[in-house]
Amino acid sequence: MLKFIIKKLLMMLPMLLIISFIVFFGLQMTGVDPINFMVSPEMLSANKENVDALRESLGLNDPLIVQYFRWVGNCLRGNLGYSFDGSSISSVIAVRLPYTFELAGYSLLFSSIIGIGIGIVSAVRQNGIIDYTGRVLAVLGQAVPQFLVGIVLIQIFSIKLGWFPASNRVSPDAKNALADAFLHLFLPVLTLTIGMVAVLMRYARNTMLDVLNSDYIKTARSKGIPEWKVYLKHGFRNAMKPVLVILVFRIPMLVGGSVVIESVFSYPGIGLTMTNAIVSGDYPMVLVTTLIIAAAMLICSFMVDILNALLDPRVRLGE
Amino acid sequence: MKKRLLALIVTATLAASSLIGCGATETQGDTAQVTTSDGTMNAADGSGQALKLSVTTGDGSTTDDKIPTPWYNRIMATNLMFRALFLADSSLTNPQPDLAQSCEISEDSLVYTITMKDGLKWSDGEALTAEDVKWSIETALQAATCNSIYTSAFKNISEITVEGNSITLTLETPYASMMDVLAQFAILPKHCLENADPLKLEADAFWQNPVTSGMYVLDELNVGNYFTLKINENYEGTAPKIKSVICYFVQDYITAAQAGQADYVFGNAADLVEAIGGMANYTTHEVDVLFYKYFLFNMKGVDGNENEAMQNVEVRKALIEAIDRATLATLYPTAAVLNSGVPNSHEAYNGFEYTFDAEKAKADLQASGYDMNRTLRICYYNNDQTSIDLIQTVVHYLEQTGLKVEATLSNDGTTDLFTTRNYDIGFKGKSAFSIDEWYTEYMSSDALFANVFGGTTEFDELVSELFKSTDQAGRNEILKKLQEKEQEAAYKVPVFTVNTYVFTSDKVVLPAGVEFCNPLYMCDLDFANWEIAQ
Repeated sequence: MLKFIIKKLLMMLPMLLIISFIVFFGLQMTGVDPINFMVSPEMLSANKENVDALRESLGLNDPLIVQYFRWVGNCLRGNLGYSFDGSSISSVIAVRLPYTFELAGYSLLFSSIIGIGIGIVSAVRQNGIIDYTGRVLAVLGQAVPQFLVGIVLIQIFSIKLGWFPASNRVSPDAKNALADAFLHLFLPVLTLTIGMVAVLMRYARNTMLDVLNSDYIKTARSKGIPEWKVYLKHGFRNAMKPVLVILVFRIPMLVGGSVVIESVFSYPGIGLTMTNAIVSGDYPMVLVTTLIIAAAMLICSFMVDILNALLDPRVRLGE
Repeated sequence: MKKRLLALIVTATLAASSLIGCGATETQGDTAQVTTSDGTMNAADGSGQALKLSVTTGDGSTTDDKIPTPWYNRIMATNLMFRALFLADSSLTNPQPDLAQSCEISEDSLVYTITMKDGLKWSDGEALTAEDVKWSIETALQAATCNSIYTSAFKNISEITVEGNSITLTLETPYASMMDVLAQFAILPKHCLENADPLKLEADAFWQNPVTSGMYVLDELNVGNYFTLKINENYEGTAPKIKSVICYFVQDYITAAQAGQADYVFGNAADLVEAIGGMANYTTHEVDVLFYKYFLFNMKGVDGNENEAMQNVEVRKALIEAIDRATLATLYPTAAVLNSGVPNSHEAYNGFEYTFDAEKAKADLQASGYDMNRTLRICYYNNDQTSIDLIQTVVHYLEQTGLKVEATLSNDGTTDLFTTRNYDIGFKGKSAFSIDEWYTEYMSSDALFANVFGGTTEFDELVSELFKSTDQAGRNEILKKLQEKEQEAAYKVPVFTVNTYVFTSDKVVLPAGVEFCNPLYMCDLDFANWEIAQ
């Protein structure tokens, strides 16, 4: 098992390197000159010498391959470098990442409870009101883009009703930290949750239906085991194995999805930082934030492999 | 057992992330409050009495981890913290002493002797002296990320001497706008920044806890969320009636205004003007600014890269003749059609008008020998819907003339307009401090425009005279000559100027007589007497 884990971990490093390579050169190929986002055209007109000096001090005159490997070298030494606006990227990440984890974490928690809950009830009460309602909502939840859901929620609950703040994570006039956190997190968490509930609900329902139609459930029933016990002990437990895998795979999507949601809600996490960095051509920052999202994806993939190996010994034997 | 362990790990991870999220700490150095995002706060006396501002980070011009610097754009938040030697009126002229006590200008306009007020202090208690002024001017000349009006003015200074409370600026040649520029230039504290790299001044940690000279000082910076200002106890002027200011970092002004996060907003985009102007709880103030929208022709670069099709002046004039600029102007809430860099309402305007005549344009193009089968390329970079609509309208007009037209939206306008230059007509915007800035672009020394106008020196002498001329009648004469020259050459053709709008919420009670100026600059708004409605 240890060998299996080490092998999986080692495979992540070259993948991250390849991703960083693609992102770095992809950004260069856009032809966007980051200096033009830092300096006004009028300044370029009037004082080109200073602008050239700035370009040199940022290392932008070096060949691309030199710039890339200098960045990789610094990262390997634990130095994520500086964004073009001069901020230490490590410091920026240290402040922003917890905000994103918080948003993604709550969304994961609530979407799991609601999605799996409705999915199971829908399967148990197949073709009932909850099932039909759940299926309609699931289609809607998957069909409507998350940014649109976010904008609609802001319009209704922030602007029309004034119940929740429309942006940021912290209010300057907050009297109670927990209440303030609840108010700021409610709408973005709800937006992310709606999208994820839809997926989990459909998956949990289908898996539960498969399980409920299996022979061992019929056997359990024929033994006279109470119905609730059949559902919980025999049905739910077995249905949750594949759902758990899907759940873990949704984590990086939550982090990635927060890029859009954080922009809609001006929520100061990694996603908003990445969006602003892309807008301003700040590619050191774009690289690091992209790699964080890619790493989240790889780590979750790794966790799924481990889960699969734990649940099904044939996986690691096959490896 | 394994599942229980897994559940425990997941629960612990969620709890930890929540705790970390609630406890992100922002350290503010010596004076500002050290806070956590747990809501600790003393910014406002109950925020109902605080003025709420919004700082947008959505356009990439500002980051949400420090205070916007005053050497780039002078937005309201920085105007409240940093002062200049002088304070202009709403026309950004007629400067009156602010940090300065007085100013004497020699008859030849080459020597400015400025005496500072006595007893000036920075917010940290250090004395604000003429040495700070000298250091600030010298540092601005070495900076890369500051407004070009400062470098354009200050590079004419040959010597700066400090004697006690006085500072003397000696110029090589007169510079007409020097006083107006000094009225915008924020003096920064030498004792805090003298070791900073001038090229990366805006990246210095100073901006997370700046020492200020204005009415307010930073109270708290909560990265990504807001910063708050409190009264600067060392400010020697009249203390403002508003005791605190909250500045939210937001992605767009419209949502911020709708959500009550902005008592003061500005902009000229059609959607913003329509949305906020239509809100009953906002008062609209229209401000005359020199925000030019114009076409430029890609003719010849100093790098040898030539575009022969646009080198024929008759072609350029015919293309402009094919576009109905008056109709284009209707796309904006208030746009005034222009025929030169001098607004039509200005006393120096020479009366010339570009006319719209599609038939004549077609005939002129054919007479000029222009290849009508060639695809005319338009490059623009503003991606707001109004700009896109405008360019589509331009394409329509040109196609009516029988031309094949292709419009490209650029991700990086500066590179595509002045380096790559794969276009015939560029569409550009320019927020100018004064008319002089429009004509600066014709100078052969202009590093960008020399690459499309071929580095011609034909405007140099007149533009230099304009910079030097301090007499209004003399300036008007020069402006008339410049207009004739630019209308004859048609290197760039203005379409219109767009006014800007300032919106104040009904929570703000303005003193009588307040006139707003270009919101990217500083002027006397009598802020000390602004109040928040009870």
